[in-house]
Amino acid sequence: MVSQYQVIGNSAPRVEGIDKVTGKALYTADFSPPGTIWGKALHSPYAHARILSIDTTAAKALPGVHAVITGRDVAGGMYGRAIKDIPVLALDRVRFFGERIAAVAADDEDIAQRALDLIEIEYEELPAVFDPLEALEPSAPVLHDGASAYQGMKLPEGAPPNAYSVIKVDRGDIEAGFAEADVIVENTYHLPRVHQVYLEPQSVLIWLDGERVQVWTCSKAPYNTREALATAAQIPEESVVFNPTLIGGDFGGKATPSDLPICYFLARASGRPVRMILDYTEELMAANPRHEVVVQLKSGVKHDGTLTARQVRFLVNSGAYAGYKPAGIIRGSNQAAGPYKIANTRLEGINVYTNTVPGGHMRAPGEPQAFFAVECHTDEVAKAIGMDPLQFRLLTLVEEGEETAFGEVLQDVLAKQTLMAAAEAAGYYSPKAPNVGRGIGIGDRPPGGGQGTADVTLRPDGTVLLTTGVFEQGSGTYTTFRQVISEELQIDPERVEIEVQNTDYVKMDSGLGGSRGTRIYTTAAYDAAQAAKTELIGLASRQLEWPEDKIAYAGDEVRRTDTGESVRWADLLARSGDTVSGRGHIQDSARPHFTSFTAQIAEVSVDPETGEVKLLSFTTAHDVGKIINPISHQGQINGGVMQGIGYALMEELRVEDGRVTTLSLGDYKVPTIRDIPPMKTVLVQSESGVGPYQIKGIGETPIGPVAPAIANAVADAIGVRVRDLPVTAEKVFQALKEAKA
Amino acid sequence: MQPFSFHRPTSLDETFSLLEQHGDEARMIAGGTALVVMMKQSLFTAEHLISLDRVPGLSGIRGEADGLHIGALTRHRELEMSPVVRSAAPFLAEVYSHVATVRIRNQATVGGGLAHADPNQDPPAAFITLEARVKLVSRNGERLVPVAELFSDYYETVIQPGELLTEVIVPPVAPGTRTAYLKFLPRTEDDYATVAVGATAQMQGGVVQKLKVALIAAAPTALSATVVEDQLVGKSVTPAAIRQAAEAVEAIVDPLDDFRGSSSYKRDMAVVFTRRALERVLQDGA
Repeated sequence: MVSQYQVIGNSAPRVEGIDKVTGKALYTADFSPPGTIWGKALHSPYAHARILSIDTTAAKALPGVHAVITGRDVAGGMYGRAIKDIPVLALDRVRFFGERIAAVAADDEDIAQRALDLIEIEYEELPAVFDPLEALEPSAPVLHDGASAYQGMKLPEGAPPNAYSVIKVDRGDIEAGFAEADVIVENTYHLPRVHQVYLEPQSVLIWLDGERVQVWTCSKAPYNTREALATAAQIPEESVVFNPTLIGGDFGGKATPSDLPICYFLARASGRPVRMILDYTEELMAANPRHEVVVQLKSGVKHDGTLTARQVRFLVNSGAYAGYKPAGIIRGSNQAAGPYKIANTRLEGINVYTNTVPGGHMRAPGEPQAFFAVECHTDEVAKAIGMDPLQFRLLTLVEEGEETAFGEVLQDVLAKQTLMAAAEAAGYYSPKAPNVGRGIGIGDRPPGGGQGTADVTLRPDGTVLLTTGVFEQGSGTYTTFRQVISEELQIDPERVEIEVQNTDYVKMDSGLGGSRGTRIYTTAAYDAAQAAKTELIGLASRQLEWPEDKIAYAGDEVRRTDTGESVRWADLLARSGDTVSGRGHIQDSARPHFTSFTAQIAEVSVDPETGEVKLLSFTTAHDVGKIINPISHQGQINGGVMQGIGYALMEELRVEDGRVTTLSLGDYKVPTIRDIPPMKTVLVQSESGVGPYQIKGIGETPIGPVAPAIANAVADAIGVRVRDLPVTAEKVFQALKEAKA
Repeated sequence: MQPFSFHRPTSLDETFSLLEQHGDEARMIAGGTALVVMMKQSLFTAEHLISLDRVPGLSGIRGEADGLHIGALTRHRELEMSPVVRSAAPFLAEVYSHVATVRIRNQATVGGGLAHADPNQDPPAAFITLEARVKLVSRNGERLVPVAELFSDYYETVIQPGELLTEVIVPPVAPGTRTAYLKFLPRTEDDYATVAVGATAQMQGGVVQKLKVALIAAAPTALSATVVEDQLVGKSVTPAAIRQAAEAVEAIVDPLDDFRGSSSYKRDMAVVFTRRALERVLQDGA
């Protein structure tokens, strides 16, 4: 197929790539207005305690200390992204190990740390609850007595203690569905907390510069984070400016307001610009990890493979607060029945407070948890009726026009095609050596929505300026902008300059996240380019006295369609010294009527003597729209799969008595390149998509089905199932031992 | 990190004087890969750090009649890549290639690593099975201690106050010596071992002439598994004998529960990997 595009669809190098690899790129830690000092927070050593007294006298007396603040100095400030339930600094009570209690601003980080060590606090320990199931018991300690008063909180009526969100969906007749079944399969799956492990830790610099609060921070949603900061600090949002900076990795975690309000109050108390950078111990202890989830699944199935009923209980351990989640809760429960046709379904999704580190967002929040549960369960159901897992899926996956488990009807459904593409590429039915297994995982998600703006300016020197409010976290949006402008204005990409504006640029911009980047910003940039062309034609008409409807834009020129006369637009602009601009703005949060399927197949070998799982190969198939930048698209796939492999086999924030114990990257391990097996990617071209180029998202889809594919492969290889991640050698070894006994 | 004084003596004599002067408040630093991390995490504080980087004669590798002499300040990477080591004791170079990453190996020193006495480190597996000794020097003279006897407890050695580890001596490796190092890394390739086993052996006519076995990450110190050796030396090798000998390590291991596995799992794995290492060095074609 010959592409109608010149630039779109061809791999393009990163706009900011050379600056990054040569060290010129600027991150939050690189900004240092004169007089900048260091801030550091004191973290609670208890999971649940009353604060009886705080004595900061010795800390304040330490030379080099400029400010020491406690909960009394933050004016009762509360923060959060949707639900404002996090005190800037704990006032009289701490609810998790690592919660921020006091903070110091000092000449350097070491002095700040020494000052923190001098703060004396008296605590009275309170009964704590860590397990999400136990937190729902009537006898459980209640974390938030006044939860209903929190801004943004909508407490469900009659909910159990600590449950601050309960979603219930009933479709069909669940009891009748189970009665109809030949076999009922019931399993519980447990998903641990994991950290995003971005290279750049959470960083912020705040400078009170006259009337303005100048902020540098690694937030990919600066407008949302600005709102959270302004609310916590009780200052007008317009007084706060977030300045552009690159972001050193995100994976969902880089829009948390975490230390921003503290940094603001330190800057106010010290009268100096204050920088706070978490160290990795603080990151692992008290940032905003992926949530622990317990998923209970019960399915009724007939011997012929018909699913008659499925009941889902999706229990999200929110940790001590809800504030790090953009919507207060995470999704996933709606995905936990899978993309299967089932007439009768029941869902109960609960978000519950416990005395543990609050969860935030990580790549496809909620979905890897849901996909792990439902895809492992699917294999277990298939096994219960003696059916091959691939055949069972092909029998039960939704097709065009059919309702998904929770009643959504999608268009252009490529579930089976994507799965078959993966199966063929992986050689799913080819012979296997002993102790080798293959496993399937499948899932789907559409690109998210939001709002965004772009401006395009054509300049007399023939260059084009693209203005944006996006703070890039590494996913390639600036490069996408350049490709769109280059395509639509028919000019060399080198002539497109990207300018990033601070948050005074527009009223609101959603920023990156939810696989919305390409959807929102290709549309904004495309519309801006068209608007700029219209402006240019208007200018040409005025200057040249050509009829407007006889002027066409043609690359470097404007051309008169009736006479064939043409003028270089750069000359036209140079003549008057003008520029012409166009703006594109999109606000589109609707969930599209299409989705994007990811089907993955892992091949593993298991050492029966040790339980060690070796990943031999991994195949990932994606139903895709138009791909704007193939090399970036593949990068998202590779990175998502790698992160999924970590989730499957090694990553876990271990928590003992509420305290995270994996406090270094020596203990909390992520995959290295030596752990990655040969990978095969298959792209299944879809006819649907969104925006001017009919795209689908890719940022989040690749991570979800990885873990169940691997766990299913382990079960296929050696006949035992591990239902809680990560699938460690020891768990497989234990399961083998139990199977033998 | 707490403030400290940093000293850079230029002779052993000056080093000893500084040690005498500052006693318990002083700690020697070589590559710093372990010490600096511990200081940053406030796991360890020192008033005085005595850097050995300017003390002459502590670095480099010499091949002599009594074996390889490896200076304490020799970097891991230098040892690993050394043609002298690769020809005289290739097993040693192989084991060093398993330590951490190239970046760490470029900085960490042979003597620093041994003195640090982390039971998870790989090199003792080679030094113990190659019967290496360390030279400990003090004002009052010097002594040689087998690496098998160097470690006394978790992060502790028999090095006395005022003593300095200056070199490691690896005796000549007999021709035909078979070696194996099995590092069990079930989480990621970039990790400390869940358990690791080193073994060297000489065989003649199916009979074990000599056997040395060492276990890493299986106890508070690197272990010399003489219980295994005693069962097999002088005997003909059979699969049953190997299995039985490997099971003997259960009595000597004392692994810690950590993120690389529970104590009981590591105990089971110590047996499995000892058996596999024995199969490698004692059985043809294994």
